[in-house]
Amino acid sequence: MLRLWPLRQISRLQNAISLTQQACNKSSVPAPSPELVEVFVDDKQVFVEPGTTVLQACAAAGVEIPRFCYHDRLSIAGNCRMCLVEVERSAKPVASCAMPVMKGMKVKTDSPVTRKAREGVMEFLLVNHPLDCPICDQGGECDLQDQSMAFGSDRSRFTDNAFTGKRAVEDKNIGPLIKTIMTRCIHCTRCIRFASEIAGVEDLGTSGRGTEMQVGTYVEKMFKSEMSGNVIDLCPVGALTSKPYAFTARPWENRRIESVDVMDAVGSNIVVCMRSNEVMRILPRLNEDINEEWISDKTRFAYDGLKRQRLTTPFVRSGTGELVPADWESAFVKIAERVNATDGDLIAGVAGGQVDAEALIALKDMLNRLGSESVCTEEKFPMTNSGIDFRSNYIMNTTISGIEESDLILLVGTNPRLEAPLVNARIRKTWINSDLCVTVLGAPVDLSYDYQYLGDSFELLTDILNDKHPLAKGLKEASKPMIILGSAVLQGENSGAILDTVKSLSEKLRAGSEQEDWKVFNVLHTQANQVGALDLGYAPGVDAMKGSKPSVLFLLGADAGTVKREDLYENALVVYIGHHGDYGAQIADVVLPAAAYTEKDAVYVNTEGRAQIGRQAVSPPGMARQDWKIIRALSEMLGVTLPYDKLSDVRARLGEVSPTFNHAGQVEDAGFFNLSDSATVPRKESRPAVQPLSPALLSLRDFYMTDPISRASLTMAKCVQAVDDAEKNPYSKPEQS
Amino acid sequence: MASAVVRLAGRLRSCARLVNTRPMSSATSAAGSTEAALDTVEPEHKDITITVDEKMDISSFTGVPDEHIKTRTVRIFVPAANAMQSGTFNPRRWRMEFDERQRWENPLMGWSSTGDPLSNTEVNFMSKEDAIAFCEKNGWDWFIEAEKKPTPKRKSYGANFSWDKRTRRSTK
Amino acid sequence: MAKYIEKISNALKIVKHNGGIVGTYLGLYRRDDFKWGTFVGEDKYGNKYYKNDYFFMGKSRWVEYPLSVGHDYDASQIPSEWHRWLQYIADEPPTQLPLPHRPWMADHTENFSGTSREYVPYSTTRPKVEAWVPPKK
Repeated sequence: MLRLWPLRQISRLQNAISLTQQACNKSSVPAPSPELVEVFVDDKQVFVEPGTTVLQACAAAGVEIPRFCYHDRLSIAGNCRMCLVEVERSAKPVASCAMPVMKGMKVKTDSPVTRKAREGVMEFLLVNHPLDCPICDQGGECDLQDQSMAFGSDRSRFTDNAFTGKRAVEDKNIGPLIKTIMTRCIHCTRCIRFASEIAGVEDLGTSGRGTEMQVGTYVEKMFKSEMSGNVIDLCPVGALTSKPYAFTARPWENRRIESVDVMDAVGSNIVVCMRSNEVMRILPRLNEDINEEWISDKTRFAYDGLKRQRLTTPFVRSGTGELVPADWESAFVKIAERVNATDGDLIAGVAGGQVDAEALIALKDMLNRLGSESVCTEEKFPMTNSGIDFRSNYIMNTTISGIEESDLILLVGTNPRLEAPLVNARIRKTWINSDLCVTVLGAPVDLSYDYQYLGDSFELLTDILNDKHPLAKGLKEASKPMIILGSAVLQGENSGAILDTVKSLSEKLRAGSEQEDWKVFNVLHTQANQVGALDLGYAPGVDAMKGSKPSVLFLLGADAGTVKREDLYENALVVYIGHHGDYGAQIADVVLPAAAYTEKDAVYVNTEGRAQIGRQAVSPPGMARQDWKIIRALSEMLGVTLPYDKLSDVRARLGEVSPTFNHAGQVEDAGFFNLSDSATVPRKESRPAVQPLSPALLSLRDFYMTDPISRASLTMAKCVQAVDDAEKNPYSKPEQS
Repeated sequence: MASAVVRLAGRLRSCARLVNTRPMSSATSAAGSTEAALDTVEPEHKDITITVDEKMDISSFTGVPDEHIKTRTVRIFVPAANAMQSGTFNPRRWRMEFDERQRWENPLMGWSSTGDPLSNTEVNFMSKEDAIAFCEKNGWDWFIEAEKKPTPKRKSYGANFSWDKRTRRSTK
Repeated sequence: MAKYIEKISNALKIVKHNGGIVGTYLGLYRRDDFKWGTFVGEDKYGNKYYKNDYFFMGKSRWVEYPLSVGHDYDASQIPSEWHRWLQYIADEPPTQLPLPHRPWMADHTENFSGTSREYVPYSTTRPKVEAWVPPKK
């Protein structure tokens, strides 16, 4: 430090000079960007921000440094030593992942010293690594395999192995999702860091040291996290692999299709791996705005639900009241006979949460042409006051990446950890890296980070609005407060009061905020395309539809069980269009088999209001067809032919109805906050009848099976079983709730 | 508007066919007249560069059936990095991909069959401009999917040991 | 002159072989051919086999299908032992040199393609999707 003082003086002096210069100039030139550090990577000059690591500087120069323990989204461990590089005037090779850059640093990434260092590290790593690549599931996409080919030596000087054998470690059972072959572990600790940093569960750790070091849970227990599957991706070797995917396919056999997930309203970007018309596995795809590079376990493992309980042929209810397989024509004829004899007012449509926008618009257009205005979603949303008239009332206005800017988050009636694990991961990331304060109105669930629990009564909310609660001051002082309202609490009676109060509070904060374009109000939906349905003009909730006692009802993937036979006209005809034999198919008179999300090119709008295109990976099974094509064919039968024949025509129609669909991948901003608030008439008398502000999903057990696909999945059923068993395990920490 | 630059050297005749964008029916007569015209060019003028400011469209004589030119849409994108590995080769290039068509199960082996001759094309490009030019040239409709880049974060090893920040690690 | 006499004599032989003018006409209708020859044998399906070395090899042995099959005759209706003689694989017809019959030998069947008994290939692969079965009432 002492030796450095003249340097520090100089830098201070320079600062002072630049400050005075600024003051003197008084120009409109913006403040200079923080001084960049000049680094030479293999004699190539790059400028990087101070504080970046040598490895990142090399990446900026386009040089990829081999690594095992380093991961962009995890903390720096620096224990694999694979990233050693030579730095000029440094006595030893340095671990580039942990070394911050210094001015004028000259890094040599391909010098003899670097190469020798890498070769040496690789030799150590391979001392105890088994040579079981031919039977290893990681084979073909293994960092160790690739990097030993590129940077390793062709022989080893460790000949003891021939006599003593390699180190062997007992495999661990950490649940039904992750298969462990711990002998392959190279102790990079990525899984440990993921568990403690991203997932927020301290389940994994190391015990022992040196050759005796083991990664595991210490006592045998399940790795209880809703995002546990990501450690499979993180593991650079085959120590942690996917249990459901084990020995089913090799990476080079798979066709990769970039698609979008529908298990929750986040719309995670995924890669569907397909081989011989079968979904083999699902992997995450990078999208900084949504899921970074993680996905939840339901997204990753529920794909086996796509192969069970599927509707592969149309069914028509026979005279004896049984559903019998039929062909498309007779099913259509049966519908047409009834619809043609029915008044348009008595026809209604109900859409489920996972239905794509193309099917939604096709059904709505068809019913409108038949003279019906009664199309609604299963999921409710209060229609009181401005309700869904303003788009800003029902989307996540600050966007998911906006969470990182926030400094205070109020969660109202939501458990983001289970409703949208990636939103929760984002909150946790922000919580770790900043002084974010989280407060919760709802249930005291385990969110994987500390928060201030306020309670679960509606009065607290009005208190905050009326400045009677200490949090009101905190919200006011926060520079970028966020209020996230869970859609679960909006399902109950009289929930309009909750929405109105939260909206008024948000508008108060937004109007009083110094941040120009900071939007406070957010709704966290749980259904993949609920926002899309609302954008297209579907009415939320089935209550209004029930009131009209329809005599022909179209259920479009509606499996939540909100409509019962008793709600309909006597002998009503129920038509189910969907992909799984779940609730909807059981009450239906005519069942039309449709495509699941991996089987169609379709648009989904996530909770941020971001339209994203999911792509077709496999063909629909049996006689099943894509939803909008079914409705298009049916419309011709009913004499109200829809004016689109091609997918591009449907997309054009979507764009006509809502601009959201015109730019896929981007958030369509919503505005009119002040208008929507002024349209709110305060109602004194109405307050929610019941209702603690409690979310629907409370414990990890509830997370796994929430929709027709995950309900049909065996893997998800095993997870529920495993969680139940884990509850009985005396060594596992009981879940808070 | 792609402009084709043609170097008029010895290979002039074959090149002249490339810049001809008229339909096949008139191509033969047009080529004949070009050849006739070339014979009259003085030798000292043969080594010059001409720029044809015309949209290059080779779809009329590539032999690709009309159906696979007019009804296909090309998606131009940066392939996602494999989440299982740390390598960064995939996202360094642009790729084109045709719209998905029907596949079915082959009853003998259970493999998937397709009637789409373009389903297995995988063409990589250094830049999206190259990909667009290629699609334009072949007469395919195309759209671009925005590239998704990771945003680098500043990290420090010291944060693991920070005593007053939440970045402090329990496991080190 | 002798040429014409031979033609007439052949014509008479044909008429005799076919059993009269009407038979000749019907034979022409079914087989598009005029032939006469010696009867070699008949198999259990009613196919009659003839030979006449007057014709060139390739035409010198032939089969006349039974009337019961009408026009739906084809070469697969000939059992293998007669096929052997008919295609000049052997000189002796099975009437002269019966082939040994082994217990594992299956009965001859004709090719049923195009009929209701035709073979329809079916998928032998494991079904990839488990279909929903509606609950029984």
